[in-house]
Amino acid sequence: MNATTLVLLGPLIAVGAAVVVLMIAVSIRRSHHVTAGIALAGLLVAFLLLFRTTSVGPRGVGPLLLVDEYAIGFTGLILAATAAVALLAVGYLDRLEDQRDEYYMLLLLAALGSIVLVSAAHFASFFLGLELLSVSLYGLIAYPRTRAEAVEAGLKYLILAAASAAFLLFGMALVYARLGTMEFARMSMTAADRDLIALGGVGLIVVGFGFKLALVPFHLWTPDVYQGAPAPTTAFVSTVSKGAMLALLLRYLPGDVVRAHRALLVVFTLLAIASMAGGNLLALQQRNVKRLLAYSSIAHLGYLIVAFLAGGDMAAAAVAFYLAAYFVTMLGAFGVVAVLSTPAREAGDIDDYRGLAARRPWLAMVLTAALLSLAGIPLTAGFVGKFYVTVAAGSAALWALLIVMMVTSGIGLFYYLRVVVAMYMEPAAGGIGGVPAGRAPLAGGLALAALTVLLVWLGIYPGPLVAFIRAAVAGVA
Amino acid sequence: MLEWLWLVPALPFAGFLVLVAAGARLRRAGAAAVGIGSIAGATAIAFAVAASFAGLPPGARVYSQTLWTWMRVGDFEPAIALRLDALSLVMMLVVAAVSLLIHIYSSAYMEGDDGYARFFAYMNLFVGSMLALVLADNLLFLYFGWEGVGLCSYLLIGFWYRDPVNANAGRKAFIVTRVGDTALAIGLFILATRLGTLEIQPLMERAAAQWPVGSALPVAAAALLLGGAVGKSAQLPLQTWLPDAMAGPTPVSALIHAATMVTAGVYLIARTHVLFALAPPVQLAVAVVGAATLLLAGCSALTQWDIKRVLAYSTISQIGYMFLALGVGAWSAAIFHFMTHAFFKALLFLAAGVVILAMHEEHDMFKMGGLRRDLPIAFWTFLAGAASLSAVPVVTAGFYSKDLILFDAWSSPAGGPWLWLAGIVGALLTSVYSFRMVFLTFFGSGRHAPARTAGWRMGVPLVVLAILALVAGFIELPPTLGDRPVFTDALRAVLPPVEAVPARAADLARLQLVAGIVSLAGIGVAWLLYLRHRATLAALIQRPAPSRLHRFWFAGWGFDWLYDRLFVRPVVGFAEAGRRDGIDRIYDVLAWASQAAWRALSATETGGVRWYAASIALGAAIVTTIVIFL
Repeated sequence: MNATTLVLLGPLIAVGAAVVVLMIAVSIRRSHHVTAGIALAGLLVAFLLLFRTTSVGPRGVGPLLLVDEYAIGFTGLILAATAAVALLAVGYLDRLEDQRDEYYMLLLLAALGSIVLVSAAHFASFFLGLELLSVSLYGLIAYPRTRAEAVEAGLKYLILAAASAAFLLFGMALVYARLGTMEFARMSMTAADRDLIALGGVGLIVVGFGFKLALVPFHLWTPDVYQGAPAPTTAFVSTVSKGAMLALLLRYLPGDVVRAHRALLVVFTLLAIASMAGGNLLALQQRNVKRLLAYSSIAHLGYLIVAFLAGGDMAAAAVAFYLAAYFVTMLGAFGVVAVLSTPAREAGDIDDYRGLAARRPWLAMVLTAALLSLAGIPLTAGFVGKFYVTVAAGSAALWALLIVMMVTSGIGLFYYLRVVVAMYMEPAAGGIGGVPAGRAPLAGGLALAALTVLLVWLGIYPGPLVAFIRAAVAGVA
Repeated sequence: MLEWLWLVPALPFAGFLVLVAAGARLRRAGAAAVGIGSIAGATAIAFAVAASFAGLPPGARVYSQTLWTWMRVGDFEPAIALRLDALSLVMMLVVAAVSLLIHIYSSAYMEGDDGYARFFAYMNLFVGSMLALVLADNLLFLYFGWEGVGLCSYLLIGFWYRDPVNANAGRKAFIVTRVGDTALAIGLFILATRLGTLEIQPLMERAAAQWPVGSALPVAAAALLLGGAVGKSAQLPLQTWLPDAMAGPTPVSALIHAATMVTAGVYLIARTHVLFALAPPVQLAVAVVGAATLLLAGCSALTQWDIKRVLAYSTISQIGYMFLALGVGAWSAAIFHFMTHAFFKALLFLAAGVVILAMHEEHDMFKMGGLRRDLPIAFWTFLAGAASLSAVPVVTAGFYSKDLILFDAWSSPAGGPWLWLAGIVGALLTSVYSFRMVFLTFFGSGRHAPARTAGWRMGVPLVVLAILALVAGFIELPPTLGDRPVFTDALRAVLPPVEAVPARAADLARLQLVAGIVSLAGIGVAWLLYLRHRATLAALIQRPAPSRLHRFWFAGWGFDWLYDRLFVRPVVGFAEAGRRDGIDRIYDVLAWASQAAWRALSATETGGVRWYAASIALGAAIVTTIVIFL
């Protein structure tokens, strides 16, 4: 291992080291806020090291990892999102009686796995990153272990993730058996084209992706897990875990390759349509906000697949921008849920949100902004993202997908606005269930404020991020 | 200092955000401080920018500032950019300064109101939008400001929304101007698709280069832009909303429905004057609309008893003068009249506001009288405003601006005796109705003790505006009175001067004499009719024919009646008839289908892990089947 490699791996090492430091610190003395501080410091150091990494330039680390602008950009996104989740978790875990500190270790490990995923160039690193992510998530989901729902959600996720990993692993084995390589760069789809077994393997890998991205019909776990998991974890699952997988998908199977291959095109087109329609329809009369956001995330991944299918640099840029906007928005939405929830009781039911504007005007404003962004209303990040997706899909002439996207987005508006109406126009549900007035914890409040500013900022002034993304994705897709 | 330009619209917007976010927690003094402070900052910067601007070399007095590009997709690059030239400079200074004075006034006027912070939030949003409108470098951004001021106008007309009358007035204003806005939007679409840009300067250059004079496209585009302008500026045939807009608080009437927003149409036409010069029929239409409007509104103003409605009709009439000027190609004369009008009309509204407060929200002039002793500040300032509105010769600003318009209407190649005649008759009407207000309100027998007199926060703006209403005209001295046309010279780089027909240009002195006599004669008539022989007049309008005319004029020439028959009732009737047609069924089916789909899909969310795993396996089977067999 030479100095260059060390620089390239810097962010990974920083996050890993932070986990070790956390374990040592906890063994000496448990102090929740110190632990959170160490975790945030580790993320910050990793983030700062990214700038150093950029200067070394795109370079492989052995055959396993490829650290290029693309990986660095997504690593930055993951680190920032993880930091936001950690900030939101501080206030949430304060209300847990004991064992708060391990949450941050698991969170950092999950982030580590995600970073490996976005830098993966090889099946081995792909699977390692995935398992690192998944195993940490089991713990994160079931973290309030005295609450039955959380444990149930964790168990469901464990079983189903394991099952889908089996598909994925089998697919990898088939591909390796026929093509003789596990490096993405040396796998050519043209070779696989003539080989049914290798093709089947690719199909099974797609299933693995489909599960992690919660595309219909691999989506059934999503609402249960989102609802049962503690709100900060839900924020993480809906953003970082999915984003990392999508970034990897873009690298492993670029849209151009998919388009060139008719069967894969059909598969992804069907997945996209099913996800857009299924996600939006399932959310229609949903009364639980966490489940509603789960369905919404299914639909949004559908939109992302539409952009992904467009192929080319423009589509990759659209996907990256949409993901960034989606991260900011979803973190904002689940952030509000997290601030309103306690480990003993998740604020899920829409009754908890009735009259929120009167009791907690700032939180209502943040959630409104996030919901409008999810619906794609102008002057929010979500609008610009959707606009770029539309342009990318339009220039690739994916008319059928575009029409489905338009129609289902229209349906989506209904359930987003229903929550807004509940917050502003309906009186609070009497007595039971209402969330009391109060102040957001400092850390979570800061995170929400930053996210909201970012959400509007990206909607009005997306230029710099778009320019950055254009440079980062050039040549990847 | 020029690079600070962006702060001019940004500060009011920032003030708006602060007031919206924290308005409920701010005390009155805090809300007023934020509201006035942000406008004061914007005004100070506007003047500083103007000073730097004046320091630029004369040939290069243009400054543009691109703040950012909203998004970039192919050729479509809507930039958020500001442009400062002589035209936008004048507009910016007038808007900022008048807004500041009215904000100060409002802080006292709205004292007892529950919606104090809300009021300043809307007002700040309005000022920010208006400044964005006049400073915008492209028509898209201008349209953003245009809609912004429209929204604020709606919100502020219906400010006291608990009374349905006010809410309806707001709605009427919004819907009527929407007709114009739609025309404007279509016009912008035509320009954008045909000329490939919405940036004003390249757009005008391309239009002049590509379109021959009088061809169909510029005529269509200019006509649509005119549609937008008549809506916003309350000209025929979309003038009906402005009198009702007086339902808003008086400072709102002063700022939005007199001094600034309603002149946005004038600004739009002046800004795109190249396009109008390419469309002579439309330009003639501008002049005719202006002339007709100023006469109609002048007659209606004569018959109103509500002091604010007189002022509303007067505003319509004075904007008619601006349109008349635009129509004959006297672009800078229109902007000059915009400026003087902003001063004296804001002044008249604010002074009327003092009267209304003193009279316990009484608007009826016939129930007032003799107030000149009780409300001296209001009286003297109102008198200055009314004199300026009536264009009393030499000593008032209104004289110089109106005189310039009348002269241009006479001498421009596009003008002529008829347009001039309309203007001069309108001038007579103007001074009659102006001094009708003065005599009815402040003279005669007094019967009331004032409830409230103007404090310094109301008095200072009045005095400042009164001075401006008298002296602002001196920056444009006609050849007969000193010959120092500073204002038109400054605007020359942006707005080309009128090429007067030489034979008619010599009539200047005679025209001025006529205008002066007409103005003073109008005051005399008002004195005779409304002070000296009030009983005679009252008897006269009891007779059937004059009474009918009176009612006809009072109702604004029956336009509301006509539109009610022509548009409102048919539309409402059609909607009623269509309430139970089959078309709704289609949407019901759609909604029902969505619900059914939701129910069916929700059934798949059983919570059972076995079924979830089975679904994954099923999906895997489908995917591999497609991949292998397709």
